[in-house]
Amino acid sequence: MLYYFYDGSFDGLLTAIYQAYYRGETPSRIVAAGDFQESLLAEKVYIRTETEQSQRVYVSIQTKISRQALRNVFYVYLSELPDAGTWIYEYLRLGWKIGKEFDRMLSDGRVLRVHKISQRVNGERHRMMGLIRFRCLEGNIYYAPISPQYNIVGLVIPHFLDRFPGQNWIIHDVNRKIGVFYNGETWSLGDMDLENEIELSNGEKLYQSLWKEYFKSIAIKDRVNPKLQKRNLPVRYWRFLIEKGQ
Amino acid sequence: MELLDKLKILADAAKYDVSCSSSGSNKKNKKDGLGNSCYSGICHSWADDGRCISLLKILFTNHCIYDCTYCINRVSNAVPRATFTPDELVDITINFYKRNYIEGLFLSSAVLKNPNYTMELMLEAVRKLREQENFNGYIHLKAIPGADNYLIERAGKYVDRMSVNIEFPSERSLKLLAPQKERETIIRPMSFISSKIIEGIEDKRKYKKAFDFVPAGQTTQLIVGATPDNDANILRLSEALYKRFSLKRVYYSAYVPVSSHPNLPSISAPPLVREHRLYQADWLLRFYGFNAHELLNETHQNFDIDLDPKCDWALRNIHLFPVEVNYADYELLLRIPGVGVKSARRIIASRRFGSLDYADLNKLGVVLKRARYFITCKGRYYGGINMDVHSIKEQLLINAKNSRSLDSGEQVSLFSLYPDLLSTGDKLSSITGEL
Repeated sequence: MLYYFYDGSFDGLLTAIYQAYYRGETPSRIVAAGDFQESLLAEKVYIRTETEQSQRVYVSIQTKISRQALRNVFYVYLSELPDAGTWIYEYLRLGWKIGKEFDRMLSDGRVLRVHKISQRVNGERHRMMGLIRFRCLEGNIYYAPISPQYNIVGLVIPHFLDRFPGQNWIIHDVNRKIGVFYNGETWSLGDMDLENEIELSNGEKLYQSLWKEYFKSIAIKDRVNPKLQKRNLPVRYWRFLIEKGQ
Repeated sequence: MELLDKLKILADAAKYDVSCSSSGSNKKNKKDGLGNSCYSGICHSWADDGRCISLLKILFTNHCIYDCTYCINRVSNAVPRATFTPDELVDITINFYKRNYIEGLFLSSAVLKNPNYTMELMLEAVRKLREQENFNGYIHLKAIPGADNYLIERAGKYVDRMSVNIEFPSERSLKLLAPQKERETIIRPMSFISSKIIEGIEDKRKYKKAFDFVPAGQTTQLIVGATPDNDANILRLSEALYKRFSLKRVYYSAYVPVSSHPNLPSISAPPLVREHRLYQADWLLRFYGFNAHELLNETHQNFDIDLDPKCDWALRNIHLFPVEVNYADYELLLRIPGVGVKSARRIIASRRFGSLDYADLNKLGVVLKRARYFITCKGRYYGGINMDVHSIKEQLLINAKNSRSLDSGEQVSLFSLYPDLLSTGDKLSSITGEL
């Protein structure tokens, strides 16, 4: 058994795939260094990230397989599931062998697995576009804390850039401690930890209470259905929703 | 009156409008603008009744000159009344939007003074949003029946979607419950909007700069269970509306008893299952290539409450089954109970790489607890029972009952509005409202 370890970055993962190819090896697992539980039997190889190598894999996925496959790979990577690296590797090997048509082979477990996870990540990206709630802070900054299951904060940037180009906004993944900052002109994605309490702007409480009132009034009492509500809006997302929070 | 109280009254009065979808319009933001819209639509929350909240769905006013028996806003009903000013409405919409609470505005109204007066007020709010605030998000505007065409035409240039509620499936029912309204005043604006949409598309072809008239199309809504109309009438009407006016959607709203009147049925709960069956059939019309008369006709006027319309149809046409999934064409695959648009597409795509096993079907999202009785896979029948109508029906009913007892919310779920489209694995993608 041969295990490859990478540093947890997307470049690291692609470097590992590059190395496997050029060393003529087929690792049975490719895992992020932090995710691994010791196994005595495994032979371990630690891969050092080389952006030149990862870049070549990146281009090769795009040109030799498809842009769609590249997107699937990136989304599965963002799922941060412990086996994501291994699944991506197996998916890509098949892709390079068969070509872009391989995405239709849904009865193949390697393809189906990646599609399912990629869909789930994409689903959360889409869901978050609706569930992100900005609070207007002192200084006219719109701040939204989130805690998504997958690492999707980067995926929602284009949507909000187009939607709120004239607004200063921050989207903060509080669990991963990363955030997107936009100042009305440029944006950046980086580490973020909030030490001070945030201070709401003057009008903020008014709109929050209007929204809560609206949320209450729009439900039809004769059709109340908490089960359906929870299925559509899982409780794990309630924490930062104005209408559901304290 | 406080803004909060107005909002409460006017949201409460708007809640029986079913539509809250923000789909069908794909706009990038403009320079210095606020907002865009996404073709699939985006849900922002789900209310306690499980319905999605995408737009700020609200009435401009609930003061009404009409006295329609079925409606909570009827003039004879003693409820608190309120009216927004255009500026108040603009302020709430913009501030909700900036906080990402909503995808846009769904503005409807009771009729204040007269239809034109009301329509002008609504138009003013919408115009301010677009021109003064540079708001580029989604707007769904209800056209007030009886308002002049020029007002509707002006409004159509600002909004993404328009709708006129047809309310009742037949003229007789309308006469009974909304005696001051005429069918003609409802159909006329629908037909006008539809012709303007077509005109707009043609103009767009000729001149690049032509504006979009109601780019997300028009919809309507009708109430189910307040009148003796049967399902066959309703479905025929929907089919005609889709064909004649190219409507995007017909919404069905189970009648919630809001008043007691000799002309209204006395029911204890809204007929949710019936509403659900109609939605399922509606999907069959729009995405599955069914005709209304195949599903319901003179001898079969109402849906079976216990069986979904597709199973019901399949059992009445059992001579077409079993279907071999490895050879059947797309149209035929779509007719198999338990196979939806997605799984049919997946079957077509993946069988090019080799014929499919029965076990593969599950992976592709086919709902085998229904499909197994209607298919063969590599020539073999997996139903496990005799292929006759009675045995299959019995089995389907048992399966349905088992899953209902596991999950009693199922029958009125939003997801189940997509008949067969969803296998469990697909639930997330359904949120994207891809259809």
